Amino acid sequence: MSETRKRRGLQRRIDKIDAENIDYPTPSLAWMGRTHQWGTRVKPGNKGLTLSSLNVGHYGEIPEFWEDQTRMPRGSVAGPGGVPPIGYSVRAKHELWADCAGDLYEEAIQRRWAPTTDVPWATIEPLPEVVERAMCQLCTELCQHANVEIETITSWQQELSYGYHEVKMFLATETFDAARHFEVFRKRALCNGGGLGVESQGRVNRMILENRGGWTEAMAVLQLLRGTLTHTIYRHGMSFAHNDAEAIIFGKCLEDKSRHLAYGLDHLKYAINHQSDQALILEQVLGIGERHLVRELRDPPFRESLAIIFGGGIEGARTHGMARYQHLMGDFVRQYLDWSDWLGLRRREFVAPELKAFLEK
Amino acid sequence: MNAAESVETFDLDLGWLDQMGEWGTRAEPGKQGLTLADIQLGSYGDVPAHSDNLTGRPRGAGKRADGFRVGGYEVRDKQDIWLDNAAMIYEEAVNRQWSSATDVPWETIRPLPDDVEQAQCELATLLTEVEFVAGDVPARWVAATTPDYFEPRMTLLAQIMDESRHMDVFRKRALANGGGLLQRTGGTAGVVGSIDMSRDFTEMSSRLHISGEGAVLSIFRMGELMAYNEAEKIAYRLCAQDEARHVAFGVMHLRYIADTAPERKEEIHCYLDESERALLAGQQNPAAQQTPVSEALAILLGGGKDQFDDGYRKLLAIRRRQVKEYMQRVKSAGFGERFENGRANPELKTYAQL
Ligand SMILES: [Fe+2]
Ligand SMILES: [Fe+2]
Repeated sequence: MSETRKRRGLQRRIDKIDAENIDYPTPSLAWMGRTHQWGTRVKPGNKGLTLSSLNVGHYGEIPEFWEDQTRMPRGSVAGPGGVPPIGYSVRAKHELWADCAGDLYEEAIQRRWAPTTDVPWATIEPLPEVVERAMCQLCTELCQHANVEIETITSWQQELSYGYHEVKMFLATETFDAARHFEVFRKRALCNGGGLGVESQGRVNRMILENRGGWTEAMAVLQLLRGTLTHTIYRHGMSFAHNDAEAIIFGKCLEDKSRHLAYGLDHLKYAINHQSDQALILEQVLGIGERHLVRELRDPPFRESLAIIFGGGIEGARTHGMARYQHLMGDFVRQYLDWSDWLGLRRREFVAPELKAFLEK
Repeated sequence: MNAAESVETFDLDLGWLDQMGEWGTRAEPGKQGLTLADIQLGSYGDVPAHSDNLTGRPRGAGKRADGFRVGGYEVRDKQDIWLDNAAMIYEEAVNRQWSSATDVPWETIRPLPDDVEQAQCELATLLTEVEFVAGDVPARWVAATTPDYFEPRMTLLAQIMDESRHMDVFRKRALANGGGLLQRTGGTAGVVGSIDMSRDFTEMSSRLHISGEGAVLSIFRMGELMAYNEAEKIAYRLCAQDEARHVAFGVMHLRYIADTAPERKEEIHCYLDESERALLAGQQNPAAQQTPVSEALAILLGGGKDQFDDGYRKLLAIRRRQVKEYMQRVKSAGFGERFENGRANPELKTYAQL
């Protein structure tokens, strides 16, 4: 509806209101001037008007602990008390913060993509059946990675205090990204004469979902451990892609996943630097997580599907395909240990031996 | 040892090749690309009336006897969350994402008289406060719903994304023109009857999508009439586009309930009774009477505090439109009888007749 039509429509309604009978209230205007900081004039920069650029003066003060239990925007005036609590449980900055969250949020929006239209689906050609089966199995596994990411983050979203809105908003982009990943791998599995594979036994999924004790601990297993593995698969996916569609799928997912890891790692660093014992706790959490991962890796579908893709069939899978799978896992473990080192977590020394063994591959 | 002998060979199990889901599915992209509708083929398109999926398995994937029950999903009955066009709403949401950083022409904002800027900042403070109710609350329900109903889940994930952008665009507006945030309203705080406290998805949806977001949508649609520059006009327009999808979700879900679970209609009417009280008086409705935000709206619509009465008349007209739109939505959702049988709050009818 055009602006003029809206104005006319509104005028018609106004005309129907009997002007004589309106009981005009006298505005109290008591709300005027109730501000901690007036005169704020943030200008757009070369990336537009970004979320982080709003953090000026009072609005940029991010407290160590967020007392308020309502949806009070950071920097607004609380006013008199008496507002019932909503009950946010994650209220300390070290429990969720990452300095990069605001910028990652804007980046996610700038780099948005659509599985429906941005993937050249028509470039997908029939593959040998066993290779198609292996691709479909891998897609099924990746759908479940996305699913656990969705379920973990959404179950926490309403626990995270409003005062740290940058983090909540970034996480909204992460779950939206994960929805697209769930979508795009399902589409890939169902568009080339195949179907979905067999579900995962769910060991690592369960371990991630059960890490409910703290957001930081959930991030350690979701982002650092599982996230690094997913990231490594996406990265290798760009080289084993059979067509442009798959190359674009893995490339776009990789970009998204890099942001998720950036938040995860930045937050873990923040938590470790601001909370004594946090590193020791995370070392234990990751140790448990690694053992679950090791047991899950003994399950054939994941490694055999990758080996078949790498080997171009079953015969190839038995030899160089499985060797390349081990090489992929070596890349994963190297990356995981590098990031653990950066965080100051002693995983290189204590990582599960079965994972360490991949380093020689 | 020659080169051939040095190649390690591995044993393969390959048992999983016989455990996969239905085979031979070939979804074809159409003119709009490869949509979710295009992949609803065979067993992959079968949405069970009741989901026994406790392992988080993607719908149609092969089931394992030794899978862990990790889901613990509360919502496993289709009628509790379903709507017929969720996939379409989701696809539209993906296609119509926008950026509050770059799609709003912030440079068109010029200094405004202090009373108008204060009114704008009051409204922006409220919107920054309330927008993410519709992020937090749907999120919880996504985690509680079986992935067999992934279409509504994904639509809710798109909504959470939209709401973070709404929270953000109004914060940006408050801090972009020499003003600032004002006092929070506390309007979304946890009291019985609020959106946060809903114990059932449909209860939540009727409060959030139908009455809460419906009211906000009516305001956004009138945004051009209270905007003072292109930036504000475009922000309201883009938000209205998103909000219309969220409201459509609620209308379509209620319609599904009305069609498939008529035994729940009476219960849903009770939620609507409560929603109507909130629509007429609640803090969550920006156009409700006699609140700081309604004063701010009257100032924006009138053009300053000296034209308060003029703005107040426009606000009354907007409230009537808001009520009328609410009634249309409830009718379209299949619950219109409440306006005929005397159940609906009589004040609504008075409003709508005006
Ligand atoms: Fe919104
Ligand atoms: Fe909304």
